[in-house]
Amino acid sequence: MDYPEIDRYASLDSPIHRFDPRAKIITFVLLLISFVFVQKISVAFLALLFSLLLLLVSKLPIRFILKRVQIVLIFVLPLLIIMPLTVKGTELFSVFGISATREGLWYASLIVIRSMAAVILILTMLGSMRFDTTIKALYTLKAPKTLVQMLMFTYRYIFVIIDEFLSMWRAMSAKGFNPRTNMYGLSVMGNMVGMLIVKSYERGERVYQAMISRGYTGNPKTRTAFAMRRTDYVLSAIFVGIAILVHINTVMM
Amino acid sequence: MTKEAVSIRDLNYSYPDGTVALEDINITIEEGERIAIIGQNGAGKTTLFLHLNGTIKSCDNNVVIFGKDIGQMKSKERIEKVGVVFQDPDDQLFMPTIFDDVAFGPINMGLDEDEVERRVRSALATVGLTGFEDRVPHHLSYGQKKRAALAAVLSMEPRILVLDEPTANLDPMNRASLIELINDLNRDKGITTIVAMHDVNAVSQLADRIYVLNKRMVAEGPPTEIFMDFDLLRENNLDAPDVFKLFSVLSCFGFNCESLPLSINEAVEVLTKTIEGDEKHVHLHIHEHTHEDLEVLMHRYDHHHG
Ligand SMILES: Nc1ncnc2c1ncn2[C@@H]1O[C@H](COP(=O)(O)OP(=O)(O)OP(=O)(O)O)[C@@H](O)[C@H]1O
Ligand SMILES: [Mg+2]
Repeated sequence: MDYPEIDRYASLDSPIHRFDPRAKIITFVLLLISFVFVQKISVAFLALLFSLLLLLVSKLPIRFILKRVQIVLIFVLPLLIIMPLTVKGTELFSVFGISATREGLWYASLIVIRSMAAVILILTMLGSMRFDTTIKALYTLKAPKTLVQMLMFTYRYIFVIIDEFLSMWRAMSAKGFNPRTNMYGLSVMGNMVGMLIVKSYERGERVYQAMISRGYTGNPKTRTAFAMRRTDYVLSAIFVGIAILVHINTVMM
Repeated sequence: MTKEAVSIRDLNYSYPDGTVALEDINITIEEGERIAIIGQNGAGKTTLFLHLNGTIKSCDNNVVIFGKDIGQMKSKERIEKVGVVFQDPDDQLFMPTIFDDVAFGPINMGLDEDEVERRVRSALATVGLTGFEDRVPHHLSYGQKKRAALAAVLSMEPRILVLDEPTANLDPMNRASLIELINDLNRDKGITTIVAMHDVNAVSQLADRIYVLNKRMVAEGPPTEIFMDFDLLRENNLDAPDVFKLFSVLSCFGFNCESLPLSINEAVEVLTKTIEGDEKHVHLHIHEHTHEDLEVLMHRYDHHHG
């Protein structure tokens, strides 16, 4: 079964993989925040380069990450067309009386570059450790209980739900159903989604019973064994430094 | 002297939607017994098990474990006494890794780190999953998940082990090793085992006493007695073990033995005893009632024309 696993390459060995998960989450999130507020295209470009550099260092297969970046691009690329046409400013050229503006193009490019930098950064972070490690790191970082549990169960059951969906799908095709976008096709698909929700709900109930049976009282408790080493501190300092520099640059404008 | 491990008095339960699941249930199980609960789909086996460890709370204080009302127990005490392994291992393995899952119970019991570690290792070793600590559940095979789910309960070292359909969907090798494992736990550690199963061929290997459930407790007794009762089986949509049926057929052909065997092992024993005994061989023949007897017998086992 080919699951869409973000942590498929978590077992590689690289400085990014070896970086303490807690420090990795904190520093990457700081970098992320500093990147998304950048106002200069040149700085945004540097940020993108830096993200790419981390990606290279992490040895994660570039195609694996780019395939996921694509999905984000589908949402932000249209901005390159929409924004020049809607943002007011100096005219670049005009088609059918609608003028495209320099400012619009500039904003759109800034947004596209910034989001690319941010997405590559986050994917590198998520891709370089097992997802259960990410969850545990969040847990030790005292992230909200609800968030941790939600992530935990999503991670655990997304695969079960995918399996359930696929087996339903196979059962349907075995009975000769092929998806079409007519009324009939859509209503069958609607039924399937409904079934999936009911199944998930019932499973949720059974899982809760299993948790109660093992002494669950509302507090998720788990055991973690993280330890910061010298390299972790050095790497953290560098990343935090870069985040601060980028931020200062943004504020000083 | 044996203690009463489980005692249930006049238990009734309906689900919130009005489905009556259990009616007037009375059972008493001594410590160290091996019990099977059999009953058709929807008979209420799972519902009954949810009462045994207090997951469903009955209001009338009628589920008593080792002399103490389960409703009054603290969560820690409750899970030390009764461990339930559920039917679907995907429901039971809810933590991100096998280690986390098997450690879940012990951590909730408030044990210290070393003890948690020790219990996880020993539980995983018991079910033969040493080295699987860091694996994620969705990368395990069904049989491995099933064993991991058992380890997750064994790590709490419960005095009573309750298993819902432990052998369903397992290959013959895994099935045999699971049965052996459950019996070892019963024999070596004196753990009381209660299983629900549909697999009548395996029941006699796992139980000395059977309860037949169909919303109510319709019968109770040793396996041979239960499987002899054709009407009981038919009324409750149950079947007799294949070996038992075969020897019922043989007895129509004049084969004589004290009690009909329920499993291959027992069959070997019975045959050996007969052949080593006075008769020196197994004598089968057609006598005047054979055809008649066979017809009656086959009719009794036929579920479609009850
Ligand atoms: N959450 C629920 N809400 C309402 N009714 C339920 C619920 N769970 C089970 N039931 C009903 O209660 C009855 C007993 O169900 P239960 O699951 O205990 O049977 P079972 O003996 O375990 O069956 P199986 O052999 O199929 O596992 C059934 O009629 C079932 O439909
Ligand atoms: Mg059941």
